[in-house]
Amino acid sequence: MKEEQKKAYKRKYEQAKRKGVKFWPDIIYKDLLVSFGIFILLVGLAAFVGVAVEPKADPSDASYVPRPEWYFLFLFEFLKFVPGKIEWIGTFVLPVLVILVLFALPFLDRNPLRHWKNRLTGISIMGVVVLGMVGLTVRSVLTTPKKEEAVASTIQEKYALGEDLYSVNCVECHGPDGEGGVIAGVEGLEGVDLKSISSRDEIYTRSDETLAAIIDYGQQDQGMPPFGLAYGGELKKSEIDALVMYMRYTWDDRVELPSDAASAGAIPELSAEEIPSYEVHISRLAKRYCISCHRPGKENNNYLMGSYQEMLTSGDNADHNLIPGDLDSYLILAINGQSILDENGEEIIQRMPPTKMMKEEYIHIFEVWVLNGMPETASDAEALTVQGQE
Amino acid sequence: MAQNVYDWLDERLGLQAIYDAILDREVPKVNWWFTLGSASLFLGLMQGITGILLSVYYVPTPDHAYDSITYIMTGVKFGWLILGIHHWGASLLILTAFIHMLRVFFYGAYKYPREVTWITGVMLLIGALGMGFTGYLLPWNQRSYWATTVGTEIAGSVPGIGNIILRILRGGTDLSALTLSRFFSLHIWIFPAILLAVVLTHLYLVIRLGISNIPDEDS
Repeated sequence: MKEEQKKAYKRKYEQAKRKGVKFWPDIIYKDLLVSFGIFILLVGLAAFVGVAVEPKADPSDASYVPRPEWYFLFLFEFLKFVPGKIEWIGTFVLPVLVILVLFALPFLDRNPLRHWKNRLTGISIMGVVVLGMVGLTVRSVLTTPKKEEAVASTIQEKYALGEDLYSVNCVECHGPDGEGGVIAGVEGLEGVDLKSISSRDEIYTRSDETLAAIIDYGQQDQGMPPFGLAYGGELKKSEIDALVMYMRYTWDDRVELPSDAASAGAIPELSAEEIPSYEVHISRLAKRYCISCHRPGKENNNYLMGSYQEMLTSGDNADHNLIPGDLDSYLILAINGQSILDENGEEIIQRMPPTKMMKEEYIHIFEVWVLNGMPETASDAEALTVQGQE
Repeated sequence: MAQNVYDWLDERLGLQAIYDAILDREVPKVNWWFTLGSASLFLGLMQGITGILLSVYYVPTPDHAYDSITYIMTGVKFGWLILGIHHWGASLLILTAFIHMLRVFFYGAYKYPREVTWITGVMLLIGALGMGFTGYLLPWNQRSYWATTVGTEIAGSVPGIGNIILRILRGGTDLSALTLSRFFSLHIWIFPAILLAVVLTHLYLVIRLGISNIPDEDS
């Protein structure tokens, strides 16, 4: 900047000062007012919005969708547009360039004028950059997948989650009550005789940590595969914790499950006149005894039992599995311990569940359900009950 | 009496001179956008105060960091308020500092004679982002762990020396207890020390040069 330009600026500034105010109290007063407003805002945010509770860091859970703090989102989003091979241009060259330009701005911009009308180029460049940053931030917020389902937090939710996980992952070998026995129908472990994992001997002598570690790492020499994400399984740390909690509360008679949690997962009893429905009874029975194998990716004649529709329509023997009113439906026969043979006398369906038969009253629930045409919801079942009484 | 005490102190501390030099200055008449600098300063002070209070209970190890934060939130009286202010203050500080920079840019206030003020301001903005980045890891929750994993990976993508930077930041190849203690040390000692020095320089320059005036159309 030339000397006369400096002088001109100083003259203008002196004029502005003369027409101006005192730092104290005029400026300080405004500053304090704004700071006070910010303080109120901060207390309000802390009190009414708070700090989101996040689960503890879990280095084995690579499924977590990483998200930086919001003021880095624009950079994070921008990098998505940079091809992998030249990623370092986006991660390194550009940020460094921007920082250098910022530092050097007073020397790069030789224009002595200050009013925005006289600096349209600079103002527009900055405008585009800022709009770009805001746009990228908004885009990032909109495109980030919604926060994954919150991990179960109450005891009740955790227990229910543990029960579900147990049905899906454990029942096919360890049985619905952890009783063990000879494994049937599990690839690679056929015929292995498992001891009970729910006996006092077992559950009294293993701490929660030990149980979690066994599930996490597996016990390869005894055939137990690892279930933890970090070791090739499918379960997150929080899920393993829920599983352990379920086992502890269900089998360890030294601890008692809070009553509200106990009722959540229990299979409802059937009163004398009542007609069971998929919604209330069958889905829970299927969850506990069946879906461990009757889910995608298992050897099960393609018969899936994850939903009402699947139960009625899937599988190689879909026409025979569930026939309204017919106790010779394959499912009813199988759970009564009969294997199903084809015309040549080959077994196509073995008895179900393969390890141990269900309790008498559960089999009865299935039978009454089929006899009444397999109602789906509780209200369907109730309607049938009323009709029957008329 | 009060007058006597004041006079006694003034004779030794030069209070009147400080008042004249700092408070009783003529400055141009400006608008509300000019309060953002002091707002950032206020937020910075709040971060300092709440941060010091948090350091009483916070434990920078992977085993205890998460639990110590939970304890601050649930067990310490007004812990939720302190942590809440620190958490939200960080976001607000970035916001006010950034808009403050845009204001300075818009009015061309980075030009003569305030070039150095601008440079220290840029340093402060980058320092604040550094504080945000290092502080984000400290709660040691899923969000902070994975964001830092990705963040340090980004730093590690620098050609040539990337791997070295990554190892220096993480204290090894992976995020570990060392990463946490490094980030903790950066967050509570190294960055604050540097930032304090730069803030003081920034303030000294603002007082020495006076706040800029709003330019008219022919300047």
